Amino acid sequence: MHNIAEDHLPLKPRRHLALLLLAEEPTYGIALMERLEARSGGRIRLNAGSLYRMIGGLVDDGLVEPLEEVAAGVGAPRKHYGVTHLGRSVLRAEARRQADLLELARGLDLAGEVE
Amino acid sequence: MKRTPWFFRLLLRLFPAGHRRRFGEEMEAALRHRLEEGGRGPLGWIGSWSWAASDLVRHALGMWLARGRDGMRNGLGSVWSEGWGLDLRFVGRSLRRQPGYALTAVLVLAGAVAVNAGVASFVRGTLLAEAPYPDADRVVLAWGSNPRDGQLRDVVSGPNYLDLRRATGSLESLAAVHVGSAVLTRDGRPVVRDGLRVTPDFFSVLRVEPHLGRFFGAAERSSRGPASLVVSFEFWRDELGADPGVLGRRLVVDGEPRTVVGVLPESFHFLRSASLWLPLPDDLLAADARTRIHYHLVGRLRSGANPGEATRELSGVMAEIAGEHPEVRGWGILVERVQEASVLGVRSVLWSLVAAMGVVLLVALVNLVTLFRIRTLGRTGELRLRQALGAPAARVARVLGMEGAVLTGVGSALGLAATPWVLGLIRGRVPEWVYVPESALRVPVLEAVLDPWVAGAMIGTVLLAGLVLAGPALLDAVRVRTSLHPSGGWASSRGAAGTRWLVVAELALATVLCVGAGLTARSADHLLSTDVGLEPEGLLAVWVGDVGDRDATDRTAYYRRVVEAVEELPEVRSAAFIDYLPFLGEDDFAGIDILDARRERDRELREEWRRVGEGLLETAGMRILQGRPFDSDDFRGAPRSAVVNESFARKHFDDGEAVGAFLTVHGEPYEEVEVVGVVADLRTLGPGASAPPVLYVPQQGGPRGSQGLLVRTEEGREMALAARVQDAVWSVDPSQPMAGMAPMSTMVDAWVAVPRAIRLLVMGVAAFALVLAAVGVFGVVGYAVRQRTTEFGVRVALGASPERLRRSVVLEAVPWVGLGVGSGALLGVLAARAADALLYGVRPWDPWALAGALGTMVGVALLAVWLPAQQASRVDPARVIRPE
Repeated sequence: MHNIAEDHLPLKPRRHLALLLLAEEPTYGIALMERLEARSGGRIRLNAGSLYRMIGGLVDDGLVEPLEEVAAGVGAPRKHYGVTHLGRSVLRAEARRQADLLELARGLDLAGEVE
Repeated sequence: MKRTPWFFRLLLRLFPAGHRRRFGEEMEAALRHRLEEGGRGPLGWIGSWSWAASDLVRHALGMWLARGRDGMRNGLGSVWSEGWGLDLRFVGRSLRRQPGYALTAVLVLAGAVAVNAGVASFVRGTLLAEAPYPDADRVVLAWGSNPRDGQLRDVVSGPNYLDLRRATGSLESLAAVHVGSAVLTRDGRPVVRDGLRVTPDFFSVLRVEPHLGRFFGAAERSSRGPASLVVSFEFWRDELGADPGVLGRRLVVDGEPRTVVGVLPESFHFLRSASLWLPLPDDLLAADARTRIHYHLVGRLRSGANPGEATRELSGVMAEIAGEHPEVRGWGILVERVQEASVLGVRSVLWSLVAAMGVVLLVALVNLVTLFRIRTLGRTGELRLRQALGAPAARVARVLGMEGAVLTGVGSALGLAATPWVLGLIRGRVPEWVYVPESALRVPVLEAVLDPWVAGAMIGTVLLAGLVLAGPALLDAVRVRTSLHPSGGWASSRGAAGTRWLVVAELALATVLCVGAGLTARSADHLLSTDVGLEPEGLLAVWVGDVGDRDATDRTAYYRRVVEAVEELPEVRSAAFIDYLPFLGEDDFAGIDILDARRERDRELREEWRRVGEGLLETAGMRILQGRPFDSDDFRGAPRSAVVNESFARKHFDDGEAVGAFLTVHGEPYEEVEVVGVVADLRTLGPGASAPPVLYVPQQGGPRGSQGLLVRTEEGREMALAARVQDAVWSVDPSQPMAGMAPMSTMVDAWVAVPRAIRLLVMGVAAFALVLAAVGVFGVVGYAVRQRTTEFGVRVALGASPERLRRSVVLEAVPWVGLGVGSGALLGVLAARAADALLYGVRPWDPWALAGALGTMVGVALLAVWLPAQQASRVDPARVIRPE
């Protein structure tokens, strides 16, 4: 049977990390931008254009959805994004794909320090 | 919340609309977040801004590209991407590739639309506006008219008015109006206000209804009737506190307590707005002499009657009056619609503007068609390729049509947006008040705003004309056949020649405008440099209100004391009284007899006269042409001397030799006076009109209550002196009402404002046409040069010098430029001959105006040829010949 989730593989690093972070906790655009930067050790630094082109792509692909509830903090209301059911399947499929690759690399003693 | 800088808001617009709708606000928030954390100092600022900007541009473009790929992949899937939308995007891309063409076309159109919509709105607002009275086309002015004495539009005397009022064949009613001022005393202080005295039927003639109370009725027809007062809405609102219980309130006007009986509706004006309206009783009118003329007459035509009939009927009445009263012989009545009379002063400006604007519109449209044709011709190769690849001719035409529509739409919208600015520009050049020609009446020029009708008509015209004119170019494009040519294909020589003819037409039209502008400028120069007869710079004019019930000797002493007090001010060189200030359009006539002059004896001679104080001629800076000015002896004892102006001397004496002649003046205390000098004419009817004959006599007693005071000081310091002059007048009598002050230069300027306005506006319009013509020439020659790049390359390779190439390009254009400019000059002279009446002091073939216009046109056209010629001489042969 054709697995729809696999149509989205492989995930690009920034897409992958963004999905993981949103799966960990739904959040709004700016916070996602900050967390991407922190978790990637500064390697993934997005600005408004790139961030929302990515979010737009994720929403269009059905991996992420804007959440109904809008958190009312200080300042303007912020729209939060969370991972959809399909998004979680894609993450699992990607993890499996990478696990398989890791297995292969270990067999060739190319995994280095990866546990 | 802070605002996103406009620069970034602009960049955000690069993203597809759907994306902006979904994420626009969040993107702005993220953008601000990045900009704020971007670090301090100029380096941090530059870094964060450039990162944000490049990120936006890159991803916006990325999204569009991705879309394009999707569109291709989906093939026929979407009507938008396949049909109109794709075409539109194609048009956008091709315009972006040639931004110069798109910008030129849009600016040409925007300029033409703005100029035309501005002028059209102004003309609609002023020339064609309805006067604000019901059935306004039946409201007429009836002027006393004596064409033989050069008085076309004058006022009428009280007794004559009462007789004319009985003529009821063509007029329903006829009212008399006295335009002047009234002194209002409030809290013991006298203030002068605009005041109109009107017969009770005035309000029914205009069919105006009171805002409060009533107007004058039968009781006010007699001076023994109630002392009533009607006030304007603005006076009631601003000075009486909009008091609803104002009716019955008493105000002291001209020293007499009067009861407010009514308030006029808001912004009501007749010829001018006035605060105070007083009744003009019949017995007062009847008591005057037939020759003491004071009153404007306003009437209402019976339905179906026309001004011509009324003119004949009322002039008949005047002829009957003259049978009994020979002193009014020669006077008739001229009846004109009030609407027509009020625009007489600006009509010439407006029609010349309308004519100029029509030509500009034509030039602009020809220009656009030229540009459009050049572009279509330049794309022949591309269009052939498209057709060869299977694009139907209709599709090619649709793309071209859409391109035209996009440019037209953007250009028209920009033009309409700029129209209020053009309107303001015109409004700022046209005076606020203009005189009705040959009369003493000043009327306001109405305000104009951009009219939706004008805007609609403008867009309609542009679209229709664009369609008609661009049609041939479209057809040409469609007819391009599918013979693919390696070098990109060549315009048919017929197409290129057609474009040249368009440019010839454009040059000719622009030359017509330039000739017009040259002639207008020359005649305005003549008008403006005409000697007005006095030295207006450094002259302050002061209106001094009624001095009250002093007797004649008292007044003489009083005036002397006022002049002395004013002359004591250190900046004042001299000061003098005159009974009527010049350049205010007032006139006053006296009956005179001239002994030994060539004159007709069949009727009493009436001429304007002015009673002047000692030193008036010198203070005003009036030039003595013959004899001497008044000296101080002339002001002692009974008046025995007089000074006449040039027109007076020419009219009544052979060879203008007036000095030494004796006149009898009918008016106390003047009797026989000797002419001692001749002064230059004051051009009080405007610089273009002939000056009326005037007699100046020494002022004795001052029979007129209010007076004008002229004060000579340093140039430009007139108004700085105003407060101290007022104090000096009040130091003699603190109850003296002062009506106002103005530098004489502004009063003289009012007369030349109309010719000055015409000059500025016509020259502005001509300059615009000149730019358009230059753009046309530049476009066509530039196109021809581009087409011949290969030829030039070959010629360079064969050893032609750049100089030679340049010369050949310029020489080829010379006949076309010559033909356009030459035929334009001829047309311009013909047009000027037709509009001869608008010229003053220049002939239609004035060599200076023609030389200036032709020189400018040829110069600009050659510059427009030179630039592409320069390009031709820089062709790199290696690059050009390689593909061949």
